[in-house]
Amino acid sequence: MFPVAIEVLKQMIKRPFTNPYPAKYKPKVTLTEVVELVQKGKIKLNPPVEVPEGFRGRIAYNIEECIGCQLCIKVCPSRAIEFVPEVKKVKIYISRCTFCSQCNDICPKKCLSMSKEFELADYEKYGKSLIIGATEDYVKKVEKEKKTADKKE
Amino acid sequence: MRKKRAGMGEAPYKKDNETFTYDGKKVTAYPAEKLFDMIKEDFGEDVEGEVKTFTAGVKKKKEYKEIWLKVKRERFHELVEWMSKIQVPHLAVASGRDAGEEIELIYHFSLFYGIRDSEVSLCVKVSLPKEDPVIDTITDILPGALITEREKQEMLGVKVKNIPDPRRVFTSDELPEGYYPWRNDNDPEVEKELVRDLSKEGL
Amino acid sequence: MAEKTFTVPIGPIHPALKEIESFILTVDGERVVNVELDLGYSHRGLEYIVTHRCNPIQAIYIAERICGICSTSHPYAYVQSMEHAAGITPPERAEIIRAIIGELERIHSHILWAGVAAHEIGFDTLLHWTWKIRENVLDVLEAITGNRINYAMFTIGGVRRDIDEKGIRQIRSSLQFYREVFDTFVATFIEDTTVKMRTRDVGILTREEAEKQVAVGPTARGSGVPKDVRYDKPYSAYADLDIYPIVPDEFTHEETKGDVYDRIVVRIFEVLQSVHILEDLCDLLESTPGPITYQQNLVVVLNQLKRAVGEGIGRHEAPRGEVFHYSMLNKREQPVVWKVRAPTYNNYASWIPMMKGTQIADIPIVIASIDPCLSCADRMTVVDERTGKSRVMTLQEMREMGWRKTKEIKRRVA
Repeated sequence: MFPVAIEVLKQMIKRPFTNPYPAKYKPKVTLTEVVELVQKGKIKLNPPVEVPEGFRGRIAYNIEECIGCQLCIKVCPSRAIEFVPEVKKVKIYISRCTFCSQCNDICPKKCLSMSKEFELADYEKYGKSLIIGATEDYVKKVEKEKKTADKKE
Repeated sequence: MRKKRAGMGEAPYKKDNETFTYDGKKVTAYPAEKLFDMIKEDFGEDVEGEVKTFTAGVKKKKEYKEIWLKVKRERFHELVEWMSKIQVPHLAVASGRDAGEEIELIYHFSLFYGIRDSEVSLCVKVSLPKEDPVIDTITDILPGALITEREKQEMLGVKVKNIPDPRRVFTSDELPEGYYPWRNDNDPEVEKELVRDLSKEGL
Repeated sequence: MAEKTFTVPIGPIHPALKEIESFILTVDGERVVNVELDLGYSHRGLEYIVTHRCNPIQAIYIAERICGICSTSHPYAYVQSMEHAAGITPPERAEIIRAIIGELERIHSHILWAGVAAHEIGFDTLLHWTWKIRENVLDVLEAITGNRINYAMFTIGGVRRDIDEKGIRQIRSSLQFYREVFDTFVATFIEDTTVKMRTRDVGILTREEAEKQVAVGPTARGSGVPKDVRYDKPYSAYADLDIYPIVPDEFTHEETKGDVYDRIVVRIFEVLQSVHILEDLCDLLESTPGPITYQQNLVVVLNQLKRAVGEGIGRHEAPRGEVFHYSMLNKREQPVVWKVRAPTYNNYASWIPMMKGTQIADIPIVIASIDPCLSCADRMTVVDERTGKSRVMTLQEMREMGWRKTKEIKRRVA
């Protein structure tokens, strides 16, 4: 017991290791008000602990570069990537992603990369913030552009 | 209590750790080729196989060997008994597959563990015809083989003779009789009901 | 004895385990007279998934997720088995990096276990202290692989990321930290009178039993079986090092008993052993330049694996014991056979001789002593056979029984 007691006493004079992120306490107002206050700059938030260099966060997808080769779909272990034949691009479900970055390695155009963003929470598993790439909006946008281009011709 | 560079260098064990008794004589660990010849001598036509060699290491290259055997099922139990005369064999696991007309079980043993660089892996294959997939238990020699034998019963539909505990281990009691997950000849209707691909269902 | 025995089922809910299990204990007063195991409550059918749906590259990540703590051990054994099946030889630098990740994982896994063991005997100060020192190695792993766990470092034919100068420096400074802290670790854990009294002669597994029950890893070594794949049959970069398996009598200077205390000693000195191994591996890595994969283009690798015919086994000494994978390829996109054997699969059987004769209060530490990734709450029912009355006893209650026992010992020591 004695050696542990020394360790415990040493701990008492040290600063806590935990980073109070985003703030130590929530002010006694509702959450919406907190968001408003933050936007106004009245509450200062603690920055998160820096992530290391090779950190694999939310996947980033450069849709313009993509050639639609579907190699990423072949190696994705969690089937998070789906091909959209209308636009020959892919759609990525972030909520299924396991952050292995295997698709980054196989991509011949290097249009997939892992960003450092780690705050991915959403109320819905397939909510709008958690689907990137050739979403329905993107498909509509492309089709619209196509139509206008056709009309011009 | 601590030592300089614990766990590295010369092992501090007594050397009698490294001797075994075979045929009443004290022997040391055999190289894989000799062990293979000894098995060949004692089992003759009933075993066939090969010794595979692999290299490991970066600056100091070392070789390690695996014996891959195929034995007739009548003599499988005898082979395990033969091995246990040298040292209690270590059974990693028994794997198996559906090879069309037969079921092939592969028992992964190893001998001469506990001696530097001397362990020999023995992968013993036993083919069982599908009409009569019966094999002798080895739990009388290695009680620890029970779980893997029970798993083979439920996954491949093998019947293990004289098994002390024939219940299922991993599959649930709701799984229908006669459905064996590792086989390829299951009824597609039953399989369709049991297997769900959640990513295709959009979950 | 017969008229006074009770049946105590433990489980089956055990969310922290790879395979949730349930124990049915027959007790006579406080003493366990018989144990029955009931396994398979969380069988996920991963082997079926891989052999029906995944190509060998996808299967690496399935293998990685077999266990969160052994998230290098399973890919390690898996890629070895695949390389043997397809006849691929990884480059030398990759072999060293693999071993480095494996050893870093062993440090964090053993320290995690030490914390769990301390909690099970009611020594929570030690739990917090050990987990604090565990953070250091997790930070190193995060810095060199990108994640604290599930490193995604392995690929068939090599590794995916190189460890540069900075990474080696980080590993070295972490090793310095563990060397400094190790004396305190030994003093607070192994040399502590309470821990020793609480775990000595509890959950005994004799050497003969360990061999016959095919125990692996620290469970076998704690009983004096010098069994370690890195020593018996060195693979990848381990062939360059002179490792020998740690058995307790070298450090306790007492006869090996095969009890919980011996298993604690083995695990704690394996942390020090891993530090020494890593020192050598870092030197080796610095003097071995070269590529980290045999083939940069993954499409070529996939096609080669699709055409390959063969079978192979992969073995790796994971923190909990030997991990064993068997794979077979036969001109198909998916592997034809994939068999995974985690160390706990073999160590299950050794619970039975360990538990017989122990007290109910000792059951949590005996269960934890084989390191089955146990951490979460369990439910147990105590059935009185004579009256037919039953009441539910939570693992918490059982732990409290264990804690009371520790307190009693503490009082006696004082």
